[in-house]
Amino acid sequence: MIGKEDALKVLEKVLSFCKGFDASVTLSASDLSLTRYYDNHIHQNLRRHVQALTVQVVKGKSAGVASTNLLDDGSLRWAVQAAMENMEVSGEEKDFPGLPKPEPVQELNCYVPATANLKPKDRAEACAVVIGAAKSKGLQASGTYSSGVSELAVASTTGVRAYHAGTEAFFRTIIQDGDNTGYADRLTRDAREIDAAAVAEEAITKATLFPEAVDLPPGRYDTIFEEYALADLIRFLGMIAFGADAKQHGRSFMARRLGEKVMGDNVTIWDDGLDTASLAAPFDIEGMPKQKVVFIENGVAKGFVYDSRTAAKDGVKSTGHASPLRGGRFVPRPSNMFLKTGDSSRDEMLRSTKRGLLVTRFHYTHCPEPMNVVATGTTRDGTFLIEDGQIVARVKNLRFTESMVEAFSRVEAIARTARLTRDWWSTFDSVLPCVKIRDFSFTGSTMF
Amino acid sequence: MLTELNRILGLAQKLGAEYADARYVSITQEPVSVSTDGAPQISVSKSTGLGLRVLVDGAWGFSATPYLDPRSLEKTADEAVKIAYASALCKKGDGVSLAPMEPKRARWQTPCKVDPFSLKPEEKVKFLIDVVESAKKVPGVFRATASIMSYREEKEFMSTDGRQIEQTIIHSGGSVSVMARGDGDVQSRSFADYAGGGFEFVESLDLKSKAETLADEAVKLLKAPVCPTGVTDMVMGGSMVALQIHESCGHPIELDRVVGQEATFAGTSFLTPEKKGSFRYGSPSVNIVADATSPGGLGSFGYDDEGVEAQRVDIIKEGIFTDYLTSRELAPLFDQESNGTMRAVGWENIPLIRMTNINLEPGDWTLDEIIKDTKEGIFVDTPRSWSLDDKRLNFHFGQEIAYEIKDGSLGRMLKNAAYTGMTPELWNSCDAVAGKDEWRIWGTPGCAKGEPVQVIHVGHGAAPARFRKVKVGVEA
Repeated sequence: MIGKEDALKVLEKVLSFCKGFDASVTLSASDLSLTRYYDNHIHQNLRRHVQALTVQVVKGKSAGVASTNLLDDGSLRWAVQAAMENMEVSGEEKDFPGLPKPEPVQELNCYVPATANLKPKDRAEACAVVIGAAKSKGLQASGTYSSGVSELAVASTTGVRAYHAGTEAFFRTIIQDGDNTGYADRLTRDAREIDAAAVAEEAITKATLFPEAVDLPPGRYDTIFEEYALADLIRFLGMIAFGADAKQHGRSFMARRLGEKVMGDNVTIWDDGLDTASLAAPFDIEGMPKQKVVFIENGVAKGFVYDSRTAAKDGVKSTGHASPLRGGRFVPRPSNMFLKTGDSSRDEMLRSTKRGLLVTRFHYTHCPEPMNVVATGTTRDGTFLIEDGQIVARVKNLRFTESMVEAFSRVEAIARTARLTRDWWSTFDSVLPCVKIRDFSFTGSTMF
Repeated sequence: MLTELNRILGLAQKLGAEYADARYVSITQEPVSVSTDGAPQISVSKSTGLGLRVLVDGAWGFSATPYLDPRSLEKTADEAVKIAYASALCKKGDGVSLAPMEPKRARWQTPCKVDPFSLKPEEKVKFLIDVVESAKKVPGVFRATASIMSYREEKEFMSTDGRQIEQTIIHSGGSVSVMARGDGDVQSRSFADYAGGGFEFVESLDLKSKAETLADEAVKLLKAPVCPTGVTDMVMGGSMVALQIHESCGHPIELDRVVGQEATFAGTSFLTPEKKGSFRYGSPSVNIVADATSPGGLGSFGYDDEGVEAQRVDIIKEGIFTDYLTSRELAPLFDQESNGTMRAVGWENIPLIRMTNINLEPGDWTLDEIIKDTKEGIFVDTPRSWSLDDKRLNFHFGQEIAYEIKDGSLGRMLKNAAYTGMTPELWNSCDAVAGKDEWRIWGTPGCAKGEPVQVIHVGHGAAPARFRKVKVGVEA
């Protein structure tokens, strides 16, 4: 870990090398430890420290970018010089608003020493709990336990100075019983909150419930989505529709429908990077403070997230959602999405379902038709048939293909509790409840 | 850096490692892009460091550091060994044993005519401005972007088995993307390709004329009908065949997926061990090789990150599945030696079994002959979305563009095309593959796998091909 004082000292040094130019410097660093296991033994186990210092130099409406992972004076000077050379040939961007001015940033305590100091032996012992539970029932356990610290520091010649450090621990397992699998995970700032035995029990229950999987024909089914599954449905709205760039390019279904009803009355979706129920962080890669942004309120399209560039174009302030792209560019993207909870529960949803499905999670979801946010993907690790209010069978995995705009217009019930969860690709960490959607479209089936 | 590598291997052995390998890697990248609605974006990045992998008591440990001073090397060695001891708390039987390897010293470099870093950024910008201007002049175009990727990797590898390998890997590529919008719709067309080699490859792509064609197509797509749903014969363009190979052949043959090592993220494989040597993967027209020696391939190299020589291996021969991609740890499952596919991204990651160039061998048709021979169907090209189940059986792919085929001719343009199916069924329905003249190795720089995720460069030799009775259309 670099630490606030040393990180800001490096940034000040870089700024001192940028004589005669405006400049913005970011230093991102990650100390990651990660243990993976399969077939009831550990097969990969690592620790790594990675860091990247990126300098953007600006003159008028021209900018150039360079980055290095080394923080010695020679490397820092090289980065500044390379950024200047790139700036000289980049030409002017007429809409470039300049570097953002500093805004007050809220302090958030997201650093948990118990997570930062987790040892390889601690992670191995947690893995051993799951492996032991699986072995005792003649099952196979696979999984991952990662823990670490992320740091982000930003400084600019316009006066921005920001630093944040946060810890994260993520423990997940897949339990395998022949072709049947079950899944569970826990995502938290504080590794002490991870109960490996509870994770094992949840996944074992899923893997062993109704051992004979049945074929179910594609069609529309009332479907209960556990939080893991909902994370994959909401991620396409975040990736494709909620950024101001998508609005400005006309690529978002909300671009021409702000203020209109686009989803069901019971759907409210927002982003709040300051809410510590999520993996909060107080500012973005430009050093701009995170603002709460409501995307959908009671089904009505309300707003978009902005970085400084898209904000200037629309004459508004950045909402603190600049997200890095390759090559030093930013795009505005949600960071911490929430779906408003309801007044139901998973058990109540089950009891109210005459015939339907329970989906634990999805695999390899994608978006074949962005304008209507049509998503597709396959279920995995526990898909079950519900009849007359009860789970009656395990179902072989199914492919869904469905417009998320339409699906979120048919939300029939929402749980009263939500949890921090992550989609399969780790695009977003969102706080989500379990939901039930009427007539969800499954378009294919697989053989296991 | 050989001194540092030697030092850290010695430290690891002193601390108890029965095997260790160390990689010093320095990567320089220079992405340049130009778009019609902003200034050119030019950036350069460097990443340098060392990764150490150790086997202690039959269990793996890995640690990586950007710092190469003696104290950092000691800390890294100590950390890797301690991690391995922790792994040994949950090991299987006697733990890992590696396929044998003879000591060797070698050096390899990507053949390259024009070093992509020898061009000044302003030359690349000018090149790209010409490309986007070519697209912009087509009425109805809303936005066009073009980019060039330049990549150099200097790598030094040393193992306690006596392998000492130095490599310089150079990759270059270019892309163009055009967006048109109207009537509440947005349609895009794009082209991208990457290769092992220098700027001569970027020049060979002829992005400028491609940009104009793509722009014209993007505008026309706005008014095109949506691809209907149904079951029909389908002809794929080369870029689509390349992705189909990547997702439904390349990933299932990774032996680490087969045994379950990637279950929690990337998934496993339907291609279970008893299928090796007998499973009918595809029709007799389907011949696939894994060839890390393909000239110009984005997945070509001299040695993998275990120090094993790059190889060409038959994967599917006349439709029968014959071999997996393997490592020194897993090849002994079949009494084999590694076929050299363990690669890591950068210095900070562990090596994993990765695709090299997974090539569908050319057939003896031409695209023109295939279309003339098709009574009714669709032609699809350029991937827009891809989704597969966690064993790589059920797939769904979306495309940027499609055309009807009627009585042996291309008909109307179609938008929002997609097809879905099951991997062995699709490859068994392949009855025509175009020949050498229309075959090329497509560079895929975005292959993701592992935790933490590693995005690596791979290649796919592909030519247009026909598949019978495929389910097409986005059915929501």
